Amino acid sequence: MILYENRKELLLNVIKWGNNPFKKFVSTGEIKEDLDLVNSRINLIQKIKELVKNETNFILPIIGDIGSGKTHLFWALRNNLYYYNTIYISLEYVYKKLFSNIYSEFIENLEMEPLKYVVNQLCDKWGALERKFGFFHVVDIEKVQKFAFEQLVNKYQGVEPETLKDVINGITIHQLDPYKKIEAERWLLGELMDAKELSMLNLTHDLRKGKNAYLMLRILVENSKSGTILFIDDFGKIISIMSPQSEQVEEVFDPSWLYGTEVSPNDIAADKIFNKIVQLQNIEGLRIIITLKSKESLVDIRKKYSEKTPELLSSIREPIYLLEFKEEDVYELYSSTMSKFYESIDNTEFTKAFQNPYYPLNKRILKYVFERAEGNPRAIIKLLIKIFNEIIYSNESIDVILKDYENTSN
Amino acid sequence: MSNTENIIIYDSVKGINLEGDFQGSIITRCKDENESIIFSDNVKISDSEGIFIANGLRVGFELTYNKKLAFSRKIEAQWYEDFESIEYSILISEDIMQVYDEGQFSDAYPYTLNKLNTAALYLDDNEYGINHLEFFREEMLRNPVSLVGNGVIIADRVVIDERIDPVFYDCLIVGRDENGDLLVSFEPYMNVKKSLTDVKYIIILGIEELKL
Repeated sequence: MILYENRKELLLNVIKWGNNPFKKFVSTGEIKEDLDLVNSRINLIQKIKELVKNETNFILPIIGDIGSGKTHLFWALRNNLYYYNTIYISLEYVYKKLFSNIYSEFIENLEMEPLKYVVNQLCDKWGALERKFGFFHVVDIEKVQKFAFEQLVNKYQGVEPETLKDVINGITIHQLDPYKKIEAERWLLGELMDAKELSMLNLTHDLRKGKNAYLMLRILVENSKSGTILFIDDFGKIISIMSPQSEQVEEVFDPSWLYGTEVSPNDIAADKIFNKIVQLQNIEGLRIIITLKSKESLVDIRKKYSEKTPELLSSIREPIYLLEFKEEDVYELYSSTMSKFYESIDNTEFTKAFQNPYYPLNKRILKYVFERAEGNPRAIIKLLIKIFNEIIYSNESIDVILKDYENTSN
Repeated sequence: MSNTENIIIYDSVKGINLEGDFQGSIITRCKDENESIIFSDNVKISDSEGIFIANGLRVGFELTYNKKLAFSRKIEAQWYEDFESIEYSILISEDIMQVYDEGQFSDAYPYTLNKLNTAALYLDDNEYGINHLEFFREEMLRNPVSLVGNGVIIADRVVIDERIDPVFYDCLIVGRDENGDLLVSFEPYMNVKKSLTDVKYIIILGIEELKL
C-alpha cells in the first residue's frame, strides 16, 4: 500500500527520461493534431462552420503570420467538421500535378465504402439498375456508357470526349463488370497503371493525368452526399512565384528564348496554378479555404481575380485573421498540452495533483514565454520546448533552471 | 402508381379484383397446367375487359416433340379476358424491391455463371422430369426462377451445394400462408432441400432473352 508518493519527483523523473511534453512546433497536413483551438479562437470555428453550412461555393482566406497556427486551424476544422470531406493541400510542396494530388487526398479522406456508394449511385442514375420486366437487372455496359456520355457531355461542356469516356468507362466497369472490377478499382483509387492494364479497361489514361483527375474529382464531389472542404495552405505561393526574383540569381538558360521577353516562366507557372484554382471553383459543393501570410497577398490575389476572372471575385469572402495569442491562451495551451502528456504516460491524476497548476513551470515563466514570443504560437511552443529540454538535459535542479528564466524576465 | 406496400391486384382465391393501372414490379401466376409465371412492370385490370399486360416476360414449360422444355417469352401486349386463367397478380412494394436491388452486382460473387438461353435446371414430373442439379454441383447460376410448393421464388443467384440441394441467394418469395392470404418476403438466402419440399421446377433465365 502506498502511503505517500512524491508525484513532483515522479513527474520530473518521467520528463528527465527524455519525455518532452512539447515536441512539435510545426503543424503539417500529414500528422494529425488532436489539440483543439484555444478559447480566444473558438469563435473562428463557429464562423467557418456557419459559412460552410450556408454556402456551397466560396473562397475563404485565412490570414495569419508565420507560426500563427494556420495549419493547426485545419486540424481543428477537420475535427469539428468531421461529417465533411476535408482535404488538405499545401501549395508550398504541391503545385505540380495539383489535380492528381487533390484527387489522391480526396480518395484517402473519403475511404472505400463511401466511394463505392457514390459510384453505385452514379451507375444507378445512368440506368444500370433499370429493372427489365419489373425485376431483372440486365447489365448492358455499352448502353449505360452511351447514356452517361449523353448526360455528361451536356453538363460538362468543354471537357474533351476522351476524358469523359475514360471517366465513364472507369466508373461503369468498376460497378458492372465483375471480371475487371479489381483493375478498375485500382484506377479509381488513382494508382499508376501501364498501357496494357489501361487498354484492358478500354481507358487511355490513369488518374495521374490532370484532366482525368479533375473530372473524376468533380463528379465525385458533386455526387457525394457529404460536402467537401478543400484547405489550400500557403496559397501565397502563387504570388511569390509571380514576384520578380533577385537579379543576382544566375540564369544558365535564358528563358526569353523559349517564353519570349514579355512573360517569364514563373508567370506562366503562376497562371497555370491560378487557372487550376478557377477550375476547382467550378465544382459545385467544393468550399475552398486558403491561407495567406499577409493582407497584401490577399490584395494581390483579388487583383489577379479582377484581371482574369472578375465574375469570380465575389466568391472571395471577407478574410478571417489569426491574431497572436493572448496571455490567457498561453496558460490554456500549456495546461491542455500537459493534460495530453499525462494521458500519454498513463497518469491523468497529475492534472489535479499539484498546488501549482503549471508545475513543473509556473505562471511567471509562462508570462515570460508569452512576452518573449510576443504572442506568436510557434515561438511560444519553441520556447517551451527549449525550457523542457533544459530540464531534461541539465544537471542543475529545476529551481535553478527556472530561476535563470525568471531573472532574465526581470 | 408507386407503392410502399405490397398490393394484391387480383386473387382468385380471396376474390380480390382491383380495377386500374398498376406499375412497378408485378408477379402474375397463371393457372395453366404448367403453372407459368409472368413478370411485368405493368398490369391493367378492368371488370369488363380482363387483365392486360404489356411488355412482360412469361416463364414456364411447354411440351415440344414429346419433351418438356423451359421457356421465357416476351409478351408484347396481351389481354387475359378470362380471369380463370390467372391465379393471382401481386405488385411488390418498392421497399422490398430496393432491398432486392442491393443484392445485384454483388462483388462478393464475381464468378457466377450466366446462361445465354433460358433452360430448365430441375422439373419434378413423372413423365418428363429433368434434373441437371448434379451437373451444376457447387456452381453458382444467375437469375433462377422456381416454384416450390405453393410459392414462387425469384432470386439473384442459386448455388447447388455439395448435397445437390439448391440454395437461393437474395430472393423474393411470394406464397400463401395457412389462411390462404398472399404474402411476399425477401430472404438473403434460402436453402431448399429437395427431399423434404416439393420443388416443382427451377428455371434459369437466359440473359440474352432478358435483353430482348
